[in-house]
Amino acid sequence: MQLSIQAKGKHVDVLSYLLAKNPNNLYERNENGHLVRMFFNRFEAEHVDVTFFVTPDPIELSRNNAGQYDITSYINDREFAVSSIFCSLLRTALGTALNGKPKPEYTEWVDHPFSMDLSVGPIASALSDEAIRELFEPLGYQVDFIYSESGYELDKTKRRSARMLRLSGLTTLQAALRQLYVLIPVMDNYKHYYIDEKEVEKLKRYGEGWLDDHPQRSFILKQALRFKEVYRLVEEETTTQAPKVDRQRLNDMRYETIIEKVRSLTERRIVVDMGAGEGKLASRLGFVPGIDTIYAVEPSERERLKALKRYEKNAEDPSFNPPLSMFGSLFYVDDQLRGADVMILCEVIEHIDENRIPKMMTTLLNLYRPKTLFVTTPNREYNEVYGLDSSYRHPDHRFEWTRSEFISFCETQAERFGYTCTFSGIGDSHPTFGEPTQLAEFTRKQVL
Amino acid sequence: MHIQLPYAGIVLLIGPSNSGKSTWLNQLIENEIIRPSEVVSSDDYRKLVGDVEHIDWKGHPPDEADSLFETYQDISTEAFALMTSLIEARARLNKLTIIDATHLYASDRKKHIELAHRLHQPVYALVLDIAQPILLERDRLRDFPRGGRRVKQQVQVFNREKRTIKREGFDQVHVISDVSQVNVERENMNPLHLSSERGIDVIGDIHGCFDEFLELLERLGYCPNDEGLYVHPEGRIFLSLGDVMSRGPKSLETIEFFIRHVEAGIAHMIDSNHGWKVLRWLEGRNVTMKHGDELFVEELQMYEKQKGSDATEALKSSMKRLLKHAPSHYVLTKQAIPTAVCVHAGIRDEFIGKTSRDISDFCRYGDNEGFDEAGKPIRKDWTVQHKSKTLIIWGHDPRPRPLRLNHTINIDQGVVFGGQLTAFRYPEQTIVQVEAKQDYAQVDDNPLVTLEAKRLDPPNIGKLMNGYTVDTEAFGEIHVSKETALPSIDLVSHYTVPLEELVYIPPTMSPTPKPSAEEDYLEHPNEAIAYYREHGITRLIAEKKHMGSRAILLLFKNEDAAEKAIGRRTKGIIYTRSGRKFFEREQENEIVSRLHQSLTTHDYFTTYQTDFVLLDAEILPWNLKARELIRNQYAHVAEQALLDRKQLQQTLESAVDHVEGIQDWFTEVNQKLKQAETFKQAFQTYCWDVEEIDSIQIAPFHVLAHSEETFFNQSHEWHMSMNQKLAEMDDLFLATDYKIIEDTDSANDVIEWWKMMTEDGHEGIVIKPERFMTKVDGKLIQPAIKVRGRKYLSIIYGMDYLEPDNLKRLKKRNVSKKQKLALREFALGMEGIKRFVHRESLERYHECVLATLAMEAEPVDPRL
Repeated sequence: MQLSIQAKGKHVDVLSYLLAKNPNNLYERNENGHLVRMFFNRFEAEHVDVTFFVTPDPIELSRNNAGQYDITSYINDREFAVSSIFCSLLRTALGTALNGKPKPEYTEWVDHPFSMDLSVGPIASALSDEAIRELFEPLGYQVDFIYSESGYELDKTKRRSARMLRLSGLTTLQAALRQLYVLIPVMDNYKHYYIDEKEVEKLKRYGEGWLDDHPQRSFILKQALRFKEVYRLVEEETTTQAPKVDRQRLNDMRYETIIEKVRSLTERRIVVDMGAGEGKLASRLGFVPGIDTIYAVEPSERERLKALKRYEKNAEDPSFNPPLSMFGSLFYVDDQLRGADVMILCEVIEHIDENRIPKMMTTLLNLYRPKTLFVTTPNREYNEVYGLDSSYRHPDHRFEWTRSEFISFCETQAERFGYTCTFSGIGDSHPTFGEPTQLAEFTRKQVL
Repeated sequence: MHIQLPYAGIVLLIGPSNSGKSTWLNQLIENEIIRPSEVVSSDDYRKLVGDVEHIDWKGHPPDEADSLFETYQDISTEAFALMTSLIEARARLNKLTIIDATHLYASDRKKHIELAHRLHQPVYALVLDIAQPILLERDRLRDFPRGGRRVKQQVQVFNREKRTIKREGFDQVHVISDVSQVNVERENMNPLHLSSERGIDVIGDIHGCFDEFLELLERLGYCPNDEGLYVHPEGRIFLSLGDVMSRGPKSLETIEFFIRHVEAGIAHMIDSNHGWKVLRWLEGRNVTMKHGDELFVEELQMYEKQKGSDATEALKSSMKRLLKHAPSHYVLTKQAIPTAVCVHAGIRDEFIGKTSRDISDFCRYGDNEGFDEAGKPIRKDWTVQHKSKTLIIWGHDPRPRPLRLNHTINIDQGVVFGGQLTAFRYPEQTIVQVEAKQDYAQVDDNPLVTLEAKRLDPPNIGKLMNGYTVDTEAFGEIHVSKETALPSIDLVSHYTVPLEELVYIPPTMSPTPKPSAEEDYLEHPNEAIAYYREHGITRLIAEKKHMGSRAILLLFKNEDAAEKAIGRRTKGIIYTRSGRKFFEREQENEIVSRLHQSLTTHDYFTTYQTDFVLLDAEILPWNLKARELIRNQYAHVAEQALLDRKQLQQTLESAVDHVEGIQDWFTEVNQKLKQAETFKQAFQTYCWDVEEIDSIQIAPFHVLAHSEETFFNQSHEWHMSMNQKLAEMDDLFLATDYKIIEDTDSANDVIEWWKMMTEDGHEGIVIKPERFMTKVDGKLIQPAIKVRGRKYLSIIYGMDYLEPDNLKRLKKRNVSKKQKLALREFALGMEGIKRFVHRESLERYHECVLATLAMEAEPVDPRL
């Protein structure tokens, strides 16, 4: 990670005072084992060339990494790419220039623009050259890149992942450095420290006088603050995506349909939501009268925690019957699940490899034997309406069935275990393709 | 009169004051028939709690007398409470306790009888019936006379009560009028204890399979002597876990055999459910002879026809004798110390070494919880409550293989159902089996068939999710915490191949236990060789370590074989070390079909008579599985480093001739640039384009199992030769280079080989002891140690790791946790495969796989 500043023209030699660095000496400063170094390659009255670079201690860098049990925390670009790490390591070396506080006799030069070339990098950024130009060109720079050779011979199609950024223009040293301090983390793929309110304050300070009028202002803020919560402190998000609304509506309709069906059952004292995920359906079941116990069964601890939070939110409502979060999986047997009145598999089976479904159904219908079982799954025919040709609706879907496939499967299962089965659709109906979601209701036959 | 006191139990002395109870007991102590600690006397306890044995309130004015009487009552209450808890403690510890008190009232006795029953102790009553004049005379002579009135009162009560004592539930009641006429003896050894010093062969349920039984005895080394008794040249004896009769063809012969051998003291037989039923039938009780017992009756009728009624009656009475005296269980001892228990159906820890009706019942039937819809008993798993380390050997409930579970071993392999008859040799703990000649029982619900049908049933989550322990043969118990069990269950519920197919997760491998002593190496073969030499192992193998991705291949003879083994019709499966599918479905099909074709053409499955082969392998190139990792990490980092260092090198180069003192920085950056180039090359060595499957290489290094056997006892040279054979069968298979280390020369040879290979950019070598599984002093040692090359390690520790300052710090690494996990995962891996090969249930082999995944969830430095 390096930064070179080249300036040409009259009085450029005052830059050494603005930087508070002796042009005749090498500068080396140890910041927690990382060496921050500087030298003047040229120091003439009308031509100054100074380079700052960091020789990091890779072991120290990885030691402070949160993901220390992951190999990628040891082999990573943080010791090379310019990032917020670079900025903070150089903070002391560049302090005088960033703050614009040289010795009093040079204060007048702080706001003096020089013709400068700044070369900084390498950058590790997902942004295109064009996007980077849009960050710097409005500030009056001419933008150039120096590219690396390809790093990986097998992957010829890939865009090169390292670039040096070269900025040329007439600018004050302080403005140039402050702009880099804001925009380096914006370009970089991630940040090394926690982003909080302090970051907002830093943005205000370094962004003073240029950020407010920047055409990419909101993009810069969003990138710099990464996390929504912090971003909201500055600006409210306004956009919502239209297709998402659609999906949301289908989810709601699905839940409502199931809730209505459960409500209409006479026997519904014990209801089990298998694969309850983050508890969306289960918490709605909590408002259905006549249910004594709701088991929300899920193997993912993360999802279960989310679900618990959801239940807590509803807990104030006296009519809410909080579901019992249960660790469980469809590939194991849990004796506690025997004898439930209702079991629900809402958008679960399509996440299971098709050849494992029959065995799972055996556990449900032969061992647990609920009085009623609801199964919902996407209707593949309807994908035509969404304009999905051959792909599934979700990358984790292992299969999606047509209506006839689903019906034939369910009827076979019902036949095997003494159930009857009825089918319906959920969502906007299409004359040819039916509804987006299909639902099967298994009812246990009475044994005489 | 002769009285035999039990080894353990409660003995009540009953009789009014002055009957001579204490005097008699003191005599017995003096004669060393009983120990002083075995006698508990109420008088002693009164003294212990209240300092005095007796308080006399006679002759005091009423108010004083009342107070004295109350004090005496209080002392008595406290004394009896303390006594009771002592008696209880001794009963729990299976000790003999003789209680010296009057026990005149039924309520006093009942308390002890109940306690004895509750704690499974025999309870005896020794009633001292002494004439009243003698009692009065003795009272007069004692230090603190109780007084004539009280004595007379006691005699009155005693005379009233003594008629009912016999019906109160004592195991034995002896009425004694003169203690001098009584000869008291006691059992000094627990009758349930059997010394195993000369060796005991424990035999599972025989069920009249007499031919198989004799064959088994002969295999165990027993020979008939002149009297036709089967004896062992080393003095071993055999012990049947019961159910020697019923269901099978030759119940009578088997019972007769046991009668003769048990009476000769060279065999033992334990009580059992069928034995108990037959005994009650012989005793004329009203029992229905079914579940195979009717065959016994038929045999007996036949016997009567042939031998006549006298012979039959004689046989019946000796059968009764045998069955009646068959104990509920035996405790096997070494140096008189209990080490194992033999029991028919099951036992609770607190029952061990004791005798009672409840214990006999439990031992005959196990822990039954009612009956199911079909009227069969629902058998609860009694083994889960077994907490002590005593090994419990049991039968009754047939399992396809001898099943070790929680310090228990089931050795009923259902010979009568067409399984095997098993002998468990103690203390060697080895198994000898004889195959059934046929399925004699011919029942609809053959338990072996039922178990087989349920083999792949989903595991019970309750047994796993709260943490559990796997009992491995190689490493003993391995505990899995709840914290790591839960995410592992989530993992196999979402990402891995189905549970049935996930039979093995390869263990992690430790690098050299110590960093290299050489200055500029982090790892070096010397330290691996030294590790094994320290453990006394000198013959080692060094195998080339391929840099790709670990893979497990399970290849089947045909789809029927797959269905039998994993419940799905397939030619084979390939998955990664974390249990995920290695290839996309189509590519897997292509590879598996091709390998299947090659193995079939070369008669692999027929030559080795196996339904499948389980291979541990490395699949190359690395980019097959690691494409994203390479692109986003390695390639990206190389590019960043090269650009950074090249730029800096150029800048410094332009300054080096005129900026003073910059030479050092320039030298440094040149060196670093070189390191970045090495790094870039290092990882690219392991990558190549894969357009079609021919450019894929599969390097197996262990043939883990065939359908009938595992290969953990084979040498690595054998494994290597098998791999060579596989490589000859299909070009996809890559044979692995290896060298043997036997002495200094061959060690140096390996080091040179390693240096050459790793300078070329290869990953390195793995050094293993000669044998797949090696134990030293009964403890498992590292099955393999990896020694990675200098260049390769730059992709692990970073391109600059060899800089002296960095290397010095990196050498402080600690591999102890990695080693610990490596051993556990190795043991779990073998255990799981063994169970899978033995066709144990999915639950049984899955728990090993899940445990390995849980171990892998433990935080460990990923660079090791």
